[in-house]
Amino acid sequence: MAILRKDLIRELRTREMLISMILFVLLAMVIFHYAFTVKEGADLTYFTGGMLWVTFIFAMLLGLNRSFAQEKDERCLDGLLLCPVDRVTIFFAKTAGNLIFLLIIQAVAVPVFTLFFVERSYVGDLLPFLVVLLLADVGICALGTLLATISMNTRSRDLLLPIIFLPLIVPVLIAATGATTLIFAEGAGFGGLLARVLFLLGFDVVFIAAAYGTYDFAIGE
Amino acid sequence: MKQLVSAPALFVEAGICLIAGLLLAFLYAPIDVSSMGFSQKIFYYHAPIAETALVAFGIAFVAAIAYLRTQDLKWDRLGLVCVRLGLLFSLLVMITGMIWGKAAWGVWWAWEPRLTTFLLVCFLYIAYLVLRSVVEEEQRRATYAAVFAIIAFIDVPMTFFATRFLPEGLHPVVISAGGSGMEGSMLVSFLISMLGMTLLLVALIRRDLAVEDLKDRVADLKNTIGG
Amino acid sequence: MSIEEGARFVAAAYAVILAVLVLYYFISARRVNTLRRDVELLEQEVQRRQAGAGEAGGE
Repeated sequence: MAILRKDLIRELRTREMLISMILFVLLAMVIFHYAFTVKEGADLTYFTGGMLWVTFIFAMLLGLNRSFAQEKDERCLDGLLLCPVDRVTIFFAKTAGNLIFLLIIQAVAVPVFTLFFVERSYVGDLLPFLVVLLLADVGICALGTLLATISMNTRSRDLLLPIIFLPLIVPVLIAATGATTLIFAEGAGFGGLLARVLFLLGFDVVFIAAAYGTYDFAIGE
Repeated sequence: MKQLVSAPALFVEAGICLIAGLLLAFLYAPIDVSSMGFSQKIFYYHAPIAETALVAFGIAFVAAIAYLRTQDLKWDRLGLVCVRLGLLFSLLVMITGMIWGKAAWGVWWAWEPRLTTFLLVCFLYIAYLVLRSVVEEEQRRATYAAVFAIIAFIDVPMTFFATRFLPEGLHPVVISAGGSGMEGSMLVSFLISMLGMTLLLVALIRRDLAVEDLKDRVADLKNTIGG
Repeated sequence: MSIEEGARFVAAAYAVILAVLVLYYFISARRVNTLRRDVELLEQEVQRRQAGAGEAGGE
């Protein structure tokens, strides 16, 4: 708990990373518009889920790199390891911290995205949408935290993270974009989304369990 | 001290099985009456290679766990060898998959479950090798590689499910790959090829392990001389 | 697709597989032999040096 608070407090004081990530996400949306509407009145309805999640995933990569690099430079981690804390707790605290950052960014980004790209009102499907969002976020943050812990201790640091992270996160991407696009484009209740939601849930459970088992090793130095 | 480095018998057995499988596939198994016709026969090597690749990655998974438990580097070595061979086989799966695709659908590439899953698998384990290349210290490299090997292997079925079942909602996957229920003659050919590929994998693992051992020995000896 | 065309594709696929596997086999065989020879040579060298040092020490 204390670790979580420490991370949050540090970030809320500087707000550097948060603001940069939000700006990045918004800029990415604008870029997507110009990148894809080559033809007059091109219909991006079925691309919406993809655009949204690609943006979030890349933003997370930036954020993870930044926050872990900072930690490493300031040697916070060594201090943490000296505490009589279960290593895995560090994992959960960090993941929770990253998750909260991601949610804050999404809170800003999603309404803007809806404004830019989504024609239909999906207020009716808001709950399913949020569930999908949360589940996918958990997967992204858990995997990201675990992998960033490893990659930060290597020679090429932030270059390595995308390479090891992206292939692993593809299933989440597939499920999340499918569900999100469905909601934006056609509207679907929990019934239509059930398969994807269950998949995301399963993914989260499995990988958190895996992280639980291996984080000790990942962080040990 | 010279160790027996390869088991020639294994290679011979593997070779026999593979050739037998080949002959069976061409001469014994019936021609598929569905749309694919003769090209279905690629299946008799393609599928065993795919399964062998996955077996290789599975061994790497187990080796990774063993390493984390024991900290014995020999498990790390086994993991490395298996990932490399798994990658080799996976690339073969992709190549034969594309050839089969060209034969069956007329296109070299299609975003369909099997090809994309193996494409991702390739990227995944290439990432494993990249990860290894940026960590210098032996034990740490082995640790990180092990963690990644575990996660990667869990991700493989995840990816498989995702590519196969999830796109259904928006764009139903129309392409169906061949080889559902197999009749006797097809089964025999398939099983023999499967056995051959597996034996080949084992033989190659042993040889590659020996290569790594010898490399170490050379390095050691060079140190003795130089020092 | 006629049987002949199909057969050509299949043959190509099998050829590729076998070519790659056989190639890999030979490459690794050659590596084993090279390394074995290196080990032998290096071991001889080590023995020679130890013998030389032994003689020098004995004087």
